[in-house]
Amino acid sequence: MAKIKREDLARIAAQENENQSKYKKMLMVCTGTGCVSTGGFDLKNKLSEILKEKGIDNDFIAVATGCNGFCAVGPIIVVQPEGTFYQKVNPKDLEEIVESHLLNGKTVERLLHKNPVDGAINEKMDNIPFFSKQQLIALRNKGLIDPENIDHYIARNGYEGLKKVLDENQPDSIIKEVVDSGIRGRGGGGFPAGVKWQSGKKAAIDKNEEIFVVCNADEGDPGAFMDRSIIETDPHTVIEGMLIAAFALGSKEGYIYIRAEYPLAMDRLQIALKQARAYGLLGDNILGTDFCFDIHIHRGAGAFVCGESTALMRSMQGHVGEPRAKYIRSVEQGFRDKPTVLNNVETYANIPEIIRKGAAWFASIGTGNVKDNPWGGSSGTKVFSLVGDITNTGLVEVPMGITLREIIEDIGGGVPGKKRFKAVQTGGPSGGCIPAEKLDMPVDFDSLTEAGSMMGSGGMIVMDEKTCMVDVARYFTNFLVDESCGKCTPCREGLFAMRSILDRICAGDGKKDDIEELERLSETVIKTSLCQLGGSAPNPVLSTIRYFRNEYEEHINDKKCRAGVCKPLIQYHINDNCTGCRVCAKNCPVDCISGEAKKLHVIHQDKCIKCGICEESCKFDAVTIE
Amino acid sequence: MAKKKTNKINILVDGKPITIVEDNFLLPDLLKNNIAIPTLCHHKDLTPNGSCRLCIVEIEERGRKRLVTSCNFPVRSEIKVETNSEVVKKYRQNLAEMYLGRWPNVEIIQKVARECGATDKDKYKSYLTEDSAHACILCGHCTRACNEFIQEDIIDFAGRGIKRHIAMPFENVDPHCVGCTSCAYVCPTGAIQVSDNRNHPVNAKLIQEHGMKVNAEMATLDPYQCRMREVGTANIVEVMNNYDLLPVKNFKYGTHEDTWRIDSNMMKKSYFTQGHPDQCWHGCSMACAKAVEDFELRTGPYKGHKVIVDGPEYETAAGSSNMGCFDMDFCVEYNFYCDTYGIDTISFATCMAFVMECFENGIIDKKDTDGLELNFGATTDTLEILHQMARGKGFGVEVGQGIKYLKNKWAEKHPEKADFVRDIGMEVKGLEFSEYVSKESLAQQAGYSLALKGPQHDEAWLIFMDMVNNQIPSFEDKAEALYYFPLFRTWFGLYGLCKIVWNDVVPADNAQKHPPQIAAKIPEHVENYWKFVEGMTGRKVDEKIMLDESAKVHNLQKIMGLMLGKNSFEDDIPPYRAVGPVTEEEYESRQERYDGQLKELGFDIDDKTTPEKMAILRKYRYEQYDKVQKAAYKRRGWNEKGIPKIERLKELGIDLPELVEIIEPLQ
Repeated sequence: MAKIKREDLARIAAQENENQSKYKKMLMVCTGTGCVSTGGFDLKNKLSEILKEKGIDNDFIAVATGCNGFCAVGPIIVVQPEGTFYQKVNPKDLEEIVESHLLNGKTVERLLHKNPVDGAINEKMDNIPFFSKQQLIALRNKGLIDPENIDHYIARNGYEGLKKVLDENQPDSIIKEVVDSGIRGRGGGGFPAGVKWQSGKKAAIDKNEEIFVVCNADEGDPGAFMDRSIIETDPHTVIEGMLIAAFALGSKEGYIYIRAEYPLAMDRLQIALKQARAYGLLGDNILGTDFCFDIHIHRGAGAFVCGESTALMRSMQGHVGEPRAKYIRSVEQGFRDKPTVLNNVETYANIPEIIRKGAAWFASIGTGNVKDNPWGGSSGTKVFSLVGDITNTGLVEVPMGITLREIIEDIGGGVPGKKRFKAVQTGGPSGGCIPAEKLDMPVDFDSLTEAGSMMGSGGMIVMDEKTCMVDVARYFTNFLVDESCGKCTPCREGLFAMRSILDRICAGDGKKDDIEELERLSETVIKTSLCQLGGSAPNPVLSTIRYFRNEYEEHINDKKCRAGVCKPLIQYHINDNCTGCRVCAKNCPVDCISGEAKKLHVIHQDKCIKCGICEESCKFDAVTIE
Repeated sequence: MAKKKTNKINILVDGKPITIVEDNFLLPDLLKNNIAIPTLCHHKDLTPNGSCRLCIVEIEERGRKRLVTSCNFPVRSEIKVETNSEVVKKYRQNLAEMYLGRWPNVEIIQKVARECGATDKDKYKSYLTEDSAHACILCGHCTRACNEFIQEDIIDFAGRGIKRHIAMPFENVDPHCVGCTSCAYVCPTGAIQVSDNRNHPVNAKLIQEHGMKVNAEMATLDPYQCRMREVGTANIVEVMNNYDLLPVKNFKYGTHEDTWRIDSNMMKKSYFTQGHPDQCWHGCSMACAKAVEDFELRTGPYKGHKVIVDGPEYETAAGSSNMGCFDMDFCVEYNFYCDTYGIDTISFATCMAFVMECFENGIIDKKDTDGLELNFGATTDTLEILHQMARGKGFGVEVGQGIKYLKNKWAEKHPEKADFVRDIGMEVKGLEFSEYVSKESLAQQAGYSLALKGPQHDEAWLIFMDMVNNQIPSFEDKAEALYYFPLFRTWFGLYGLCKIVWNDVVPADNAQKHPPQIAAKIPEHVENYWKFVEGMTGRKVDEKIMLDESAKVHNLQKIMGLMLGKNSFEDDIPPYRAVGPVTEEEYESRQERYDGQLKELGFDIDDKTTPEKMAILRKYRYEQYDKVQKAAYKRRGWNEKGIPKIERLKELGIDLPELVEIIEPLQ
């Protein structure tokens, strides 16, 4: 690969498109982490072998792509250009796909997507509800390119945004464009990215200091994998976003802080950086101009708090990742005490398209009016990871303002089984739980905050009726007790005190004033914590108290857990449905079920450890929880 | 250099106006104004880290109220502060309850809890509760002291959240800990205690108290004063250049447009690599020694090797400018080879500068130098001289004999230029001058030339107080300084103590607290040394005791010099380059200054040519020197010829027959 100039991009794109058009079909095999875990790479390799064996590899090609987002049904193969969507593909199925679909034009029906709700079969990817309601900007290339091939990215308008800013050579107008687009930080804070860039640039000029561009890929929320997927799917969009930022800000050095437990993302990022350097898209004299910028990778060791900007920068400097007070912001004094602009992966992923298509286009998507004030609404799209008690687990990108119901029911296919939806937890561990009656609220920064939760980085955990909300609060509080860095007193001691109270409520030892004490502690922790980890940590507790106070009261006053989750508050009983089949008694690990064959069995409460095996093993719904 | 802002901002605290310097943190000023603010993590000498959160106050800025921790909130606008509002009280109480629940028996927590109205010890009692009255309360004083006082990270926090605790790396005892006791000193609960005083000082506490004063000054003042921790003595390069005192081309000039190529900013930016504890004495909180790593040598036996170079110091860089070599690579390389060969960098540089000026003036030529072009700035040929000196071959061997030898030889060879050669040969008593231009500082001329071992400023580095700080303006002041400082600094030598921590950082209020002549001594820092000796030995020291102790040795040294045929009156007279302008170009480079001086002295110079004016100036300056020389002798108890009086020896109790025998004939 030789270094290229600006005018070469179009030539490379044309060349690559011509290469691809030589194939009758391209089989896009998903190799995001989800599909890799179910054999994505094997599938791709086997497919390539088959195509070669049959001597048809000039007509057909297997391409390893990044994540399609529909992780629930992986591994996935999408046959392009028609967009036929095969799910849960086993290597054994490949022969049939090749013979039937490729050679004889007949779709393999048994591998098509069947809507679990109404059983309807969808042949084409675009018709599947999971995909049809999405709008793709950050993930625009998902499933369509090989993330390890820079030419694929260039063929789909890649680095055109960079070319545009280099051609125009108006750094300040780029910043204005980003401000006007209204894009707010996708990492959690929702701070307008353009405003951040403005302050960073001003600080660098005022202080006459170098400025750093940093990408936060330290995605730490349990169940969230937006950033990982973006990098695995389309690493160059992040690099291009950072390049545009660097050019606008006059930065020469960038960093991507990525957690070490993302090996695939790291590999692909490294390949992408290498290829970009080889093309002269990074390094000195980028695309033959005077612009010089390079990106280094900093691997994070996985502490949740390192997603916090100041802790992240301390960690990058080789210190323990602990936050500092932000009275002087990182845009002024960040990495190595120099002005630093930090944005999240998804934010950068949006930048090339904002530049290419314009601020007005981006601002027209979403809610509110960001024309004169980037705080005036939420523009663009947002990527969410949809997990928990949901049929279509996966990654979705939707326009801001879409309702929770559309995401959960239409795209997500609702709660599986016959169970009812209870709540959705958004915004990561320090987000809040939103109940069923709020499902029609629009999803945007301000509405979520108003509902006592937050956008966060885009985690969405759906919970069904078998979820105990006190236990949920306890789970997240426990996570935060573990992940608090311990530097400031309220976060360290206050969260621990809150967890102790939640523990005792779940253990049936709740006291009369516990709810009020939780509220009091929550307030202190929120108002006096050093950073936003503590500042938002009580959200799960406060939002569950707000929407599910009765469950707390039941736990404390009636010693009951209606979801049957808190073991000390429940008892297993056997009802009249019992046929005396002995299965539960045989499976009971502590032998506390007695009863003769074909006669009603009895659970001896004094010995029962409430493991629930009897309930799981009973085929007659004879074990109930009270 | 970091500069403290001086802008004042008026703020309202609980309705009362207070003036505060911009960017100052709020808490220290609140405490200064007698406003009680509870805190468990703040320490006056350490960077605030805002971890206990007790010092929260409510501020109103542009109509918006919010809570901030006063310890680390920088004041940047005219804010209103409420230090004890209901909201503040509510949260403080809750925070204090948390502390009380975890460490109920620690005294300072009990005190803070009382102040904050927290009484319920059991509310947050848990399995984490520690009953010890000396429990660690995670305030972080110790970790910050370790880092900020002596720039180590021997102890730090380990574990996250409730598992947070103080530890050494991997929970082991770190052998790198020098036992400076800073951590124990700042620990508010006694969780860290010193268990063993290995040197068995008589009064460890006294030493610790004064040592910690030094540590705190290094941490808080050095970044704003001399940046010794950052760049070491090299910070003086640009200061001397700005004051026209940096030796350039054999002390001809005091400043040069290319000085930026060898100043401390250049060293820091592109050369110094060991930013971390690289002190010459492990445990020193000033840590002024610096190093250059991975430096690839261009010449000599180690050509092509990558080496570590200890330095450069101020004098190394000033030596470069003295040789007209404004080239940092050269500076580092001659630094390395001088160290490696065991050659003194200062003597080498000053001697080379002399050789270069002689070369440029035709005293010597390429025949003498074996073909080397030794003009000012000749970096490569200068390094070749250095290598020859070490190999014992070539012209370098001649140069290695030193200026005194060379100037006698060349003066004989060129009798017509003998005066010039003697004027520019910068040595006294056979030792080459150190790297300060003394021309405009009478005190420094005498400081150098009266020094018993030769013109070396570890007896009297008066140039800074004379020229930069203007602390010894009068004749008497100078004579007094020439009495006090040589004795004071000899005393350091006697005890093996480093001088740098005496004056390279000074107490913030030193200049305000004392008249200039006293301020120059930095009394509080002299006291540190006395207390150190007292703490170690139990013997009290004051100024008289110190000076008497020192004077015994100083006079002994003087007499030994006399015994060896040195230290006569004539041996104390500097070459004219150290006193005034030798050449016309030199005079003209500072014409305004010299003309002004002559006019001020009442000389009518309007019709005079430069050589005439130079002659007047020369005569005047040597007269001045003579006066200061004699005044200094007198103050030292010596006669007009600089010979110690026998009564002075009696006074000091060193009138031993062997000594009297030497000086009696000279009285």
